[in-house]
Amino acid sequence: MAEKHSPLEQFQIKTWIPLEIGDTNVAFTNSALFMALAVVLIAVFLVGGTRRRALVPGYWQSMAEISYEFIANLIRDTVGNEGRRYFPLIFSLFMFILFGNLLGMMPYSFTFTSHIIVTFAMAIAVFIGVTVLGFVRHGTHFLHFFVPPGVSIVLWPLMIPIEIISYLSRPVSLSVRLFANLTAGHTMLKVFAGFVVSLGAIGGFLPFAFVVALTGLEFLIAFLQAYVFTILTCFYIKDALHMH
Amino acid sequence: MNEREKPAPLSELDARLRDARGKANEAAGRTPRPKGATSGLGFALRIGVELVAALLVGGGLGLFLDRWLGTTPWLMLVFFLLGAAAGFLNVYRLATGMDQSVGYGRNGTKNDGKKGPGPEAG
Repeated sequence: MAEKHSPLEQFQIKTWIPLEIGDTNVAFTNSALFMALAVVLIAVFLVGGTRRRALVPGYWQSMAEISYEFIANLIRDTVGNEGRRYFPLIFSLFMFILFGNLLGMMPYSFTFTSHIIVTFAMAIAVFIGVTVLGFVRHGTHFLHFFVPPGVSIVLWPLMIPIEIISYLSRPVSLSVRLFANLTAGHTMLKVFAGFVVSLGAIGGFLPFAFVVALTGLEFLIAFLQAYVFTILTCFYIKDALHMH
Repeated sequence: MNEREKPAPLSELDARLRDARGKANEAAGRTPRPKGATSGLGFALRIGVELVAALLVGGGLGLFLDRWLGTTPWLMLVFFLLGAAAGFLNVYRLATGMDQSVGYGRNGTKNDGKKGPGPEAG
């Protein structure tokens, strides 16, 4: 990494175990490795945390419980009681993104949430799921979603396409937001870290201070983006359930 | 409480609710929502993302339909403009705190205890 000096090198996908099924490339890459690692870590974190089931929780159990309660409260606040059935999905999403972001904060690791295809896959899954949910719940009444009330019929041909595009832009904005934040943050970290090296012992302290501050900011963003993705998912589910 | 005097403007009630909820969150040890510079930055970035996303979807949809129907470049032009309008609509909704709902569901969610603006950061 140091010999190339490119702040974007950290995002490169490296194939570790080449594998092809038919014509599809399903090689095991560093991205896949870190996704698997995130899943394993989440499992260890939660299973290990709840193993003892002490009445007075220790640190580990507290953390597992806090993450559970955080999402449970989030769902109750946004979707309401009906949302409890979607808890597994939302909790998995949140933990997966959060652990992906946090794993990316480790030096020499790979941030899979900084790849738009990963975030887009999650966003489109949410989008399709919510749309199907809406149709299952409301049938064709769900299409009223796209007809703004109080608009005269003359304007419908104009307003309905706009509403549909606005609806379709949801997964795009959802995925781009996560991807852009992570990519920009990590690139910025690398750029400032590069300044430390090139300015050396004389002027390297200032960019070093920046890197320290940015690292803190990146941790904040890691949590925040996982939270934003989750809460928007909750809002979409609420929309599909209640349709105001 | 509300009957006692003239009802305060909803926005004020909103702010008070948010304050109280923030305090409750802090007491419960949950992370309070970050305020200040980051939140403003996140909001700004979010507006940009919403605008561009709708434009991309509009333009892409037009391009796809053009390819399919062989009407290059007309549908793309039309859908690009529609996408721009949708982008503005998204931003308008975000700014007025209706961002989580498609359509004009203004205030429809106010009384179930959830405030308008949605996630301010991001």
